[in-house]
Amino acid sequence: MNNQRTNGMQNMPNIRPGGPGGRGPMGARINKEKPKNLKKTLGRLLKYIGKSKLLIIALIAITLVVTVTDLAGPALQGAAIDTIKVVDGRITVDLEAMTVFLIAMGIMFAVSATMSLFQGFVAAKLSQSTVYALRSDLFRKISKLPIKYTDTHKHGDIMSRMTNDVENVSVAISQSVTSLISSVLTLIGAFSMMLYYGWIMALIACVTIPLTITLTTNLAKFMRKYFVRQQKLLGELNGQVEEMVTSYKTVVAYGKERKATKEFDEVSAKLRRCSIHAKVWGSVMGPCMNFLGNLQYVLIAAFGGFFILHPVSFMQSLTIGNVQSMLQYSKKFTRPINEIANQYSSILTALAGAERIFEIMDSADEIDEGKSNITVSEIEGNIKFENIHFSYEEGEPVLKGLNLDVKKGQKIAIVGATGSGKTTIVNLLTRFYELDSGKITVDGIDITDIPKETLRRSIAIVLQDTVLFSDTIRANIMYGRPDATEDEMRAAAHFAKADSFIERLPDGYDSMLTESGSNISQGQRQLLSITRAVLADPKILILDEATSSVDTRTEMHIQQAMVALMKNRTSLIIAHRLSTIRDADMIVVLKDGVIAEAGNHDELLSKNGEYAKLYSNQFAGIAT
Amino acid sequence: MKRIFQYLKKYAFLAFISPLLMIGEVAADLCLPKLMSIIVDCGITGGVDIADSKLGSTVMRIVFGEGSYTSMQIIITFGILMLLIVLVGGFFGVMCAYTAAKASQSLGHDLRCDAYEKVMSLSIEQTDKFTTGSLVTRMTNDISMIINFVEMFLRILVRSPMFFVGGLVMLLSLNISFSLVLLCALPVLVIMLIFVLGKAIPIYSKLQTKLDRLNCVVQENVTGARVIKAYVKEEYEGDRFDKANADLRDTNIRVQRIMAIMHPVLMIVMNAAIIAVIYIGGWQIDNVAGTGMTAGTVMAAITYITQVIMSIMMMTHMFQSVSRAMASVKRVNEILDTDPVIVSGSVTEADSDIAVSFENVSFKYPGSIGKPILSDVSFKVRRGETFAIIGATGSGKTSLVRLIPRFYDATEGEIRIDGVPVKELDLDYLRHKISYVMQKSELFSGTVAENIRWGKEDATDDEVIEAARVAQTEQFILGLNDGYNDMIAEKGASLSGGQKQRMSIARAIVRKPEILILDDATSALDLSTEAKLTSALREKMSGTTVIMIAQRIASVKNADRIAVIENGTIKDCAPHDVLMQTSETYRDIYNSQMKNGGEQA
Repeated sequence: MNNQRTNGMQNMPNIRPGGPGGRGPMGARINKEKPKNLKKTLGRLLKYIGKSKLLIIALIAITLVVTVTDLAGPALQGAAIDTIKVVDGRITVDLEAMTVFLIAMGIMFAVSATMSLFQGFVAAKLSQSTVYALRSDLFRKISKLPIKYTDTHKHGDIMSRMTNDVENVSVAISQSVTSLISSVLTLIGAFSMMLYYGWIMALIACVTIPLTITLTTNLAKFMRKYFVRQQKLLGELNGQVEEMVTSYKTVVAYGKERKATKEFDEVSAKLRRCSIHAKVWGSVMGPCMNFLGNLQYVLIAAFGGFFILHPVSFMQSLTIGNVQSMLQYSKKFTRPINEIANQYSSILTALAGAERIFEIMDSADEIDEGKSNITVSEIEGNIKFENIHFSYEEGEPVLKGLNLDVKKGQKIAIVGATGSGKTTIVNLLTRFYELDSGKITVDGIDITDIPKETLRRSIAIVLQDTVLFSDTIRANIMYGRPDATEDEMRAAAHFAKADSFIERLPDGYDSMLTESGSNISQGQRQLLSITRAVLADPKILILDEATSSVDTRTEMHIQQAMVALMKNRTSLIIAHRLSTIRDADMIVVLKDGVIAEAGNHDELLSKNGEYAKLYSNQFAGIAT
Repeated sequence: MKRIFQYLKKYAFLAFISPLLMIGEVAADLCLPKLMSIIVDCGITGGVDIADSKLGSTVMRIVFGEGSYTSMQIIITFGILMLLIVLVGGFFGVMCAYTAAKASQSLGHDLRCDAYEKVMSLSIEQTDKFTTGSLVTRMTNDISMIINFVEMFLRILVRSPMFFVGGLVMLLSLNISFSLVLLCALPVLVIMLIFVLGKAIPIYSKLQTKLDRLNCVVQENVTGARVIKAYVKEEYEGDRFDKANADLRDTNIRVQRIMAIMHPVLMIVMNAAIIAVIYIGGWQIDNVAGTGMTAGTVMAAITYITQVIMSIMMMTHMFQSVSRAMASVKRVNEILDTDPVIVSGSVTEADSDIAVSFENVSFKYPGSIGKPILSDVSFKVRRGETFAIIGATGSGKTSLVRLIPRFYDATEGEIRIDGVPVKELDLDYLRHKISYVMQKSELFSGTVAENIRWGKEDATDDEVIEAARVAQTEQFILGLNDGYNDMIAEKGASLSGGQKQRMSIARAIVRKPEILILDDATSALDLSTEAKLTSALREKMSGTTVIMIAQRIASVKNADRIAVIENGTIKDCAPHDVLMQTSETYRDIYNSQMKNGGEQA
């Protein structure tokens, strides 16, 4: 079942046709054809880290000091111990010299410790700033995505990218960046020291490097599979929790708790298997690196020994001391490589996460190339739909050549059977979705030429599904116009007849709405969203089933307010209750993707066509 | 924490063997320096005769037999031995990782499933209280944190105590005076640890709250994308997010800063101890006769004291992850410890002519203050009756029907289904009798058929089609590309309200429930469709008790009885004709709907 789901999801975005309107593909996973690219992801991630140049430089400088002082420490320590000597079979000590060395050592360590404290601070700042930027960009990207994306992707999975994946990147950065820098510095130091002892030996020391690279890249390729899958499964799990919890009432009502749990268990078990694989393969890296490091040690020892015994003409002669030091540095070589290997799985997890983050960042933005410099206040509200064709999915046309001309200030009611495309008209006018073909103009300007911001600012919609935010009632009402005064806000609430219930709430306008909104009823939520539109004071008003959950008597009360609200505004009203639309200037009957009839209430009734049928249906039950 | 160990019990064998395997890895690690020194001392410098090294001579004897050996032989033999030991150690390491991963991931899986099962057993008010975003993070983020902790715990469990105890014993055996150093160093370390962790742990739990907050904003933005775009609030939401994001970042930096103190302090303590050891060594040689102190002793002491302190460092790493894991454990425990408010009864048989009865029921949402939503509601619905409820917005209609499948429990009074109080009925049995269609229909990702089958998993294709037909949605489904196999994405976001409603009605019908509750479930349907639906319902499901909430008189008119609800009480309850005579409120509603349209008909 889960496979089916995923397949279905992946197919969807591709279904969308380009259409002669010339709108680009809106499909979400555009970068799908590209194979997962490790280097590219890493490069992009590094670019993020690189954004805080000052911090990086500071971190490198501090790490350099820490590395050097850390290396100097043992040398001084050795010198201090060397002051203990055996003279004439008696152990003596030069306490004075020792004290000097010890004091120097203390100073070195004090410097090192202070610096490593700063190192910690800078690293924290760096990793957190990076993650902050990553999150912020991702969020802004999400808000730029076309509605189609959120309509066709599991919300839980999007959430998981925002939280789990970003978190993994964060952990890797805060843990790995510093140790990577110090490893690289140590490597460079150790290598240059080896070079100092002779290039042949340095070369021998380097023999293991190609081996290391081949092994890591191959192992990485192999391991990545699991890490990518692990993140994907985690996303799926997130999606499942999210879906089932938000729809919990339905789950409970149908007694599906056990089935949901079973499905969850299945994915969780898959995740467990996959994570074990990932961990085990991740742990292989350490021993492999360890082996290579020791191989290098053995090689240096063997060749060093050989060259001491058989000096060759093309290189400087090698002393025992040289080989000994080289072996010391070889050990220094292994430590940072080991460290990198240890961080490997967390880096891979982070990269898999980063890839999923960039996947969202790479999806196409909402198209907004409107160049017209018309302002919101200049828009008068003449709307024209010309030969509109549209389908959500190829082969299932919703609108087939719709034409509609709305003059400014007109009140147009759109009626029609369920699924006839009424809401689609709203989706197209607000450019939530793009047309397949045809043209919509506002005041004669093609809406694709109007910047989306201008277009949407001139429209207020009240939707079937009310969306409110977990904030105070006041903030929710002022959502469309944050600069409104308290009086204006209250006036709007009064206007929409929402004031009486709000004032009855314990905290009035300061009452917090909860996420699920269980503290106010569906109808009250609709009143709030109407109030929000009232306060926004738009040129074009869209009411999509705005009052379906408001009882008819309340609706009648609001009716007058609605009439006042619609005055001097172009209004599109979608409603099933004919009573709410009877006064419209024009009633448009949608059928089979086109307008079957248009006219005012009386005209249409006398026509005795589709509208008359709908109308008699409405009251067929009532006429006793 | 206790709970985590209980979960670990199941994997006791793995949890036991994993640290043991770690011993293998550590032993290999400890062997290597010895072998390296043989290569250097006997092979390269020749400073030590191979015969003087017990290990060296034994190995050489086994490989080459008695005699003398060339330095190349020594280097290569021990080189290969070294590599072999690395491989063996690596094998132990991987096995240790495998067992640790298996134990921790299995534990995580169990924990995750139990937590999820728990969530699924909670009542609605309880999941509401947790909020979706926080449940999602608890289920994934927090549990991942716990898994990582357990894994780390298993791997460090043996390693650091081994180093600690070993180092301590060796140090004391060297010279008692060195233990003075440790005696000074350890309290300093412990005090620092307590101080740092004491500061950090509260922040860690704060961190999670901030993460929840951030998730909440994201979630609202994903689900409310339409409204945000319609009001061009992307920037505003961006700022709102930035605020939460910055808050999270700052808290993170704060806690990391506190933790950053730990490493340098440890380093200082460790190095001060080293300096002290060297100085004490030197001083004793200088001032005390016959201590037997040598450079070698001092160096050995340094090695051991480093080991002891490093093992403490390792443990602090673990503490650090303990403190993070603790916060996570607490949050997961909060789920596991929540007892469902609604507890299932045991009665699985009930039969009565009265399908539903309310007796003096009052109801208040848990935690809410003020007037109850419902007060003193009483009514009875006969089996097979169609009972409609009509009333103003916020009058308590939905709250009333939610009590029937026990989404909530009544604050006062008794609700009986088939004569048995709902609290005594087995929850599964109760909810199986009922199909509840909500105002806001919720579909799931999956095919159309899968969504309808939600009502009854083993429904045949014919049953599914029949249900779709009754729900007046067949035509729409057949118009889809893949018909019944068409995918519904993200909760049916691309379907219209009416389509969603009919789909969820089909889902309810396929169950063939004894009681069908329609909570304003036809509000998005036009009246002709609604009329067809009601007549199909009447025809196909005549034995079913229907309780329906509606706004439109036309929807309820043909019901056997209509309850008019106002301010949480039932004002009138009678058939349409009677209500028209007797109920002023009903007439009001009627007129409100007729005035704007009906009269001209």
